[in-house]
Parts: sequence; C-alpha cells; structure tokens
Amino acid sequence: MNDFAALGAKIKAADGPGEAIKAFLRQAVEKKVADAVLVPVKVPAGNSYAWILVTDMSILDDASPVAPVMPVQGAKALKSLTRKGHGELTVMAVMRPCEIRATFELLKLNQVNLEKVVLVSYDCPGAIPFRDYVKDPGFGEKNFQAVMAAGGPAEKNVKPACVICDEFSRVDSDIHFGWFGESGSSVLVIPSSDRGVEVLGSMGMECSDDIAGWKKTISGLKEKKTGKRTATLTETAKTIQGLDGLLGTFSECIGCHNCMAVCPICYCRQCYFDSEVAKKTPDFILETAKKRGGLAFPSDRVMFHTGRMTHMSLSCVSCGMCTDACPVDIHVAEVFSYMADITQPAFEYTAGRNDGVPLPLRKYEEKEVPQVHEIVKEAEGEEAAHE
Amino acid sequence: MKAKVGVYVCECGPNISEKVDIDKILETLPGLEEYREIELVVKRFGLLCSGDGKTFLEDEINNNGLTHLVLGACSPRDHDKTFIGVCKKTSLNPFLYKIINIREHCAWIISDKDKATEKAITYIRAGINRVLFQSALLEKKLDINPDVLIIGGGIAGMEAALSLAARDRTVYLVEKDDHLGGKAVLLGGLLPRQGGGPAKIREKIESVLGNDMIKVYLESELEGVIGFLGNFEVIVGSPGDEEKKDLKVGAIIVATGSGLADPAILEGLDYSKTDEVITSMDAERMFSKEGKISLKSGGDPKSVALIHCVGREEKGYCSRICCNYMIKIAGYLKDQSADMKVTEFHRGLCLPDKADQGFQKEAEGRGVEFKRVRELTITGTNVRYEGMDGKSEGLKFDMVILAPALEPSEGTEGMADLLGVPLSESGYYQEIHQTTNPVATSIEGVFVVGAAHSPKGITDSMLFAQASAGKILSQLIPGGKITPEIKVSEILEAYCTGCGNCLDVCVYGAIYYDEGRGISVVNEAVCRGCGNCFGSCPSGALRTKHFTNTQLYEEMREAIR
Repeated sequence: MNDFAALGAKIKAADGPGEAIKAFLRQAVEKKVADAVLVPVKVPAGNSYAWILVTDMSILDDASPVAPVMPVQGAKALKSLTRKGHGELTVMAVMRPCEIRATFELLKLNQVNLEKVVLVSYDCPGAIPFRDYVKDPGFGEKNFQAVMAAGGPAEKNVKPACVICDEFSRVDSDIHFGWFGESGSSVLVIPSSDRGVEVLGSMGMECSDDIAGWKKTISGLKEKKTGKRTATLTETAKTIQGLDGLLGTFSECIGCHNCMAVCPICYCRQCYFDSEVAKKTPDFILETAKKRGGLAFPSDRVMFHTGRMTHMSLSCVSCGMCTDACPVDIHVAEVFSYMADITQPAFEYTAGRNDGVPLPLRKYEEKEVPQVHEIVKEAEGEEAAHE
Repeated sequence: MKAKVGVYVCECGPNISEKVDIDKILETLPGLEEYREIELVVKRFGLLCSGDGKTFLEDEINNNGLTHLVLGACSPRDHDKTFIGVCKKTSLNPFLYKIINIREHCAWIISDKDKATEKAITYIRAGINRVLFQSALLEKKLDINPDVLIIGGGIAGMEAALSLAARDRTVYLVEKDDHLGGKAVLLGGLLPRQGGGPAKIREKIESVLGNDMIKVYLESELEGVIGFLGNFEVIVGSPGDEEKKDLKVGAIIVATGSGLADPAILEGLDYSKTDEVITSMDAERMFSKEGKISLKSGGDPKSVALIHCVGREEKGYCSRICCNYMIKIAGYLKDQSADMKVTEFHRGLCLPDKADQGFQKEAEGRGVEFKRVRELTITGTNVRYEGMDGKSEGLKFDMVILAPALEPSEGTEGMADLLGVPLSESGYYQEIHQTTNPVATSIEGVFVVGAAHSPKGITDSMLFAQASAGKILSQLIPGGKITPEIKVSEILEAYCTGCGNCLDVCVYGAIYYDEGRGISVVNEAVCRGCGNCFGSCPSGALRTKHFTNTQLYEEMREAIR
C-alpha cells in the first residue's frame, strides 16, 4: 500500500462513499482545481454504465463513482482520452484501484498522459460480473447495495478477480477515499501524492485526522485477501500445468479475442495473432496435419493465450476484465494472475506502481539470466510433481 | 522460377570431416526436394576458404545458375565476409547466401559422430529453408567525407588535428574555453625534467593556429549530431550566439580531457576549510605564474606534505599520473629550497614508464621522504597516518598538497548522450575493447582519445591522438566510397503504438519518437541492425532486414520439423 501520508481529512458521508465522492468532485470543479471529471454514469437505458467526461455538473447527478460494474476498464477510457496528449482541461478521474494500476502500466508504455489528470481512488468492494448485471440490472443493483453495505472487500457476488483481489485499497493515486472500517457516516480523504496534497490544499481541505485505524483495518483485510488469492491460484496452477493442462483450460475458447479487446494492457494496434505474419503457409498446414493426423482450425488457440501471457503478465494488474468478457466462462484472469505472480517477482517488478521503475523488458540485467533459469527449473519440478 | 539452391559442405581439413559424416549429409539433403519446390546441388569440398575453394564456389554459382547458396562450414565470424566476397564476384546477391556453422556447433563439441552428423543435417536444412525466405538486398555506395571534427582543443585534440590536417582534409577543432592547450598549458613544467615543457605546448598551439586546414572554433560546443562513419552532420554553436554552424564530417574525435575530483567531498580532508591545503593543480598554477610555491599567508613553507591517491578508493580506479607529477612538484619545492622538508604520503607508488623509477630515486636522493600508509586523515595541516607497520603517528606541516583523482570532465554524460556512445562504470567513455581496440567506440566513426578516454598523461594522450588519426586516415581516404549498413531496422507505421520500448533498448540512438504521428521512427543512417528493437516490440511493428520474423520462423520451423 502507498504509505504517502499519515493524516487525512474525515468528511461526512451520510449517503455513502459514492455520494461523498460526488460532493468532492463538485467542490473540486467549483474551486477550479479541476475543469472536468471522468466518472462512470448510468446509461439512459438503465442497464449499464459508461465513462463520461463530465463538464456540465448536472450530469453528475446520474454518476456513480463507485459503480456496480466495469464494462470498460478505466485505464482504457483514460487512454482514449489522453493518448494524443493533454489539452487545457484538468481532469479529475475517479477509478477503481485496479484501473489506476493499469493506468500506470500504460503510462510507462507511453499510452496515457497524466500531465493534467488527477487520479482519485477509493476502497473498492469489487464489481458485479457484467453479464449477471445486464441480465437483470435491478437484481444487480440490489446485489451491489448488499456488497456496499458489508463495508469491506466482498467475498461473493462479485467478479472472481475481485474475490481474490488484495489491491482493493490505496494505490499510487493522487487522492484516496478510505471508508472500509469507518463508521457509516464518514469517509477519509487521503492525499496520496504531492499533487494530491496540492489539490486538497487548493480546495481548503485540512488533513488533520489520523488514519492509523483505517490503515490497520486495511492491512488486516489485505492479509486475508492475499491468503485467498494464494489459495485460489494454487488451485488454478493445478489445472494449467503442461500442454494438456493448457489445452484443457482453453478448450472452450471460441477465439473471439474478447479477452484481448477488453484488456487495458493489450495496447498493440493489431494483435500479432490477427496479423498476416501469423497466417500459415499451405505446405506448413499440410505438413503439420500429416504429422499429427489432424489439425484444428482456426489454429493457434492456446498459442494466442500463451502469447498474450508472454506479452502481458509482467503488467497484469488482475483486474479480471478478461474473465468478465469471456462468453464461455474460461477463468482467464486466474491463469494470468497466476503467471503474473511468477513473472513479476522474477524480474523484481510490481505492476501498477508509479515508482519510475522501468518495465523489465526495457532494461537488461545480466543477473536475470541465471534467475530465469532457476525459475524454469522450479516450474519444471512443479510440473513433474503434478504428473 | 524454381529455386536452385547450392549446398556445399566444407571439410575444413580434418576439423569437420573427421567428426561429421559429410557423405551422409550429402545423401540426406536431396530428400528436401520432395516437399519443397526446389532443386538442390549438393557437394563437398576440402577447404572452401582457400583460393581453390573460392574459385570452386564461384564456378559452381555461375555454371549451375544458382539462385541461393548455403555453406556448411565454420563460424560466420571466421569467413562470412570471405564468402560474401565470392558472391559479389558472381551474379548471386550476397543476401541470398547463408553460412551454417557446423564446425563450432557440431564437429567441435559433439564427440558422437552420428549425433554430430544429425545436428549438422538439421542446421543445414534449417539454413536452406531460411535462405529461401531471404530477400536480395541492394547495397548502397555513398561518397565519404574525409573531414574530421575534433571536440576539445587540449593536447590530445591538437595532436590529432595536426596529424590529420592535410591538403584534401579539413579538421574542425571545437574548444569550449577561450584558448587552446587545455590542462597541459596550465602546468608549471612537464615531466621528466620539468624545463622547457610549457614552451613545447605553446609551439603546438602555434602550429594549430598557423595551419590553414585546421579551423578552430573557440568558446563553442557540439550541439547536435546525426549520421555515421563517412557522413556525419554536426551542429556547432556558441552559448549566447543564435547562429549555428552546420558542418559535414566523416569522423568525430572526442578529446574532452579530464577533470579533477573535488577533494572537499572526501571525509577527513580539510580542503575547503584551510587555506594551506591546496590541490596539485593549484600548486602547478602557482608555480607557473610566480615561479615558486608560497603559503597563502605569505612566505615560503618550511615543510610540505604531498598526499597521493585522494579519492582513488571512492572512484575505484588509479589515476595513473599522480605519483609522477607529485614527484615533479616535490622537485619544484626542493629547487625552491633544498632544506625544505618534503614528505610524500602514498599507498604504493605507480611508476610505469621507463624513466620514472630513476626520477623517483633522484627525488629521494634530494631528501624527499616517501611514506607508504594504510590510513590517513588531515586536520588543518596536521597529517595523521597509519604506516604499513600498523603504527599511527601525527605530523605537522606548513602546507598540504593533494593529488585528487582524475574524473570524466564536466559534460561527459551529455556528450555521450549526444553521440550515442555508452559510458563505462567509471563514468569514462566505453571503448570497443580496452586492450585490442581502445580508441574506437561502438559508434563507427567516433573515437575517444586523451584523458577523455581514461586518466592519462601527456605522452599517452599523444599516442591515443595519433592512433585515432591512423584509423581515420585508413578509413576515410579522400574520394573513397563507403557502404552503409543495409541490414537495418524499420518500423511499420500501421502497427506501431509508440510505446517507446524500442527507444529504450536502442544503444545507437537510432530511433526517435515522432510526436505528430505518435509512433517511433528508425533513422536508417544511424541504425546498425543489431535487432534489439525488433526483440522489444510487442506489436510486430519492427522489422530488421535480413532477420525478419518470417525468416527466423521458417529457419526454426525447419529445424524442429
């Protein structure tokens, strides 16, 4: 957890953290520290939420900063907003911790520009699986109300990625809204960066409330969730070992590439697997078919997923968009999270931080070679044990 | 047209023939014709790199009308260029040829002949498949520019300029100060006999200024550079002057010299606090101006401590020249007054040149005391030290002279960045090879000489300057042509997302980010085709010619078929 500040500002939140954040946003625009806000707003049809760059504050009435679902990963929204740089507007963006972490990965990849963006995060209880929600939005809203009422990171009725999420609280955002463990009528506004301090200062918010109690609550909850994540991913590991494991895991894949389309980190203009280079020559196809006695089409289904893992696992923030978008319920997010938990420590890298540490692929360190050998050896040992 | 691939296996004397069953290779390979639309010519030969071998290959290419050539032979490091030369004599494009290393990769490392043969067959098969996907690249010839830019007008820069300036070669000498001569012209005397030295440096300056083919730009700095050996375009500017000079040169010599570490940062040394603790350079300046070394408070010192190795441990290298010049300074002091107590505190003397030992003995003969120490602290002008016998002692002096470590001159990092030359751990420029190619850098056509390369005295600076001049004279012959690298990288705009991975991994500074299009772009003139960028691109937007995805993929596919 970001340890930036020891003090925050306790503010009233009689109608819950969502309304408190909205009030804060209105105040930020009034005090001219922001010109616009980027928040999820309920679509007119009432069955989903969309990211809206709000300049007319009356639209904020329909906004839900803490939305029940995440149809589009916030980092992706911010990317489409700032890919070509920043303008004159200062934007305050309210996003889930996983969305902010993905944003920092994209920042390192030159895909977003945060020059004029103030990032606001909050204690996130999780999000409802999108397909469950659209089937019956009324039921979905009720479910989410129950999730919010529990006042902590949810253990059921949310996306599988949220069930095992241990990064549900303060990340390297500018301002964080902490409310887990706080009494129902207040939330803590916590500066989390120099910019955050400056913004709160300009808004005249005095940070004099101790946040030690909240921090203790969060670290307790976090410990529990990390345990849950480890236990779940250990189970996942068993199902994906070896080629047979992978084939089994992805046997239902229909090749829609939704997982790629919704992944905030998948930033290529065109995926290699959709490109001409990946198309096979007829002699190769025949030869392979002859050798194996048969060949599935379109081919390279597992290759697509392992290829994406190679490219993305170092930056994976376990937001669970892939699983949420999979029409055949493959637990893609768990597989990627499992890989991320191996590859990121291997390069002493943690995805989602604004710490100036370059992506591992951008630097070469000789010591990494023997380290990778060790990891491969270990993995082979594990694989043998499973067989 | 059906491809006709010539495959020739070299026996390399007994090197390959005894360890690999070449006849089995010859029998097996024609099987490839069954599933590839190709015609093969497969033969063996004793020694392909010999005169006979080259003639044989040339005849084979011409007589058989080969479209592609694959050789099962040695490492490309040995003879790739030899066989490219053979291709160039024929109509076969050298980029449609491939050498397969079955000597180092098979014959020399696998004792089981069957296994070695099997691996050799696999490699050659893969090579044949690769060569079919190679493209006939066309080499370009460019006129070379024989002119040279030298950055730094110290002794090394001036010597390089004097060695290179000639009727058909202009040398541009850029100096950031308002005078030539660098550090050497500031010295009181030169080693080993002290007398006449400064006059020698002034003679060099006069020669440079009097040479019509050397254009000297004082108070000027290098501001931009693009290009490659034979064709650099550089921008030279002066601070405060809007007008820039655009120069075209064929090579660049960096002779920016060395700086002195600031002893004030070192613990236990009272450099900044006490007037009577000065650096060796202060002493040289004083001697040069006044002909003697005096106390700041006035009058001659009666006792002087000379402290060697100031900052050696912190820097992690020996500065090579200090032991010698400290003996020289002791000489100044003894000349001044034979009775003066002069003590040199050192950590083991470094006296590498032929005259040095005698020079030191001579100083000892004049009463200069040499004390080898383990530890040393200075308070005011009091020196407290631990000798080699482990005993600590304190001595009081009138004056202390420090020999601070040499360090890369100010602005080295910026210059390295501008030129694309990497720096070594010490902060000095990284040469291609410390022992076998010390003046050249990884950027072809950029050389580093003098104390900019590493701590150096005047003699070594002269040698390095002359060495770089030799390299340039042989590479940039006026009227000559140069073949730029054609196996360069390119970026396909439609695929590039401008993430900048390639910019970070490019060691030549050959890639830049195009703000307007939001993509990265390769400057082909600077690219050396190393392929780092190709490996770093997640989008498949990067392609290195002659090492395309398809070529590598097809090679591997055949190898594991």
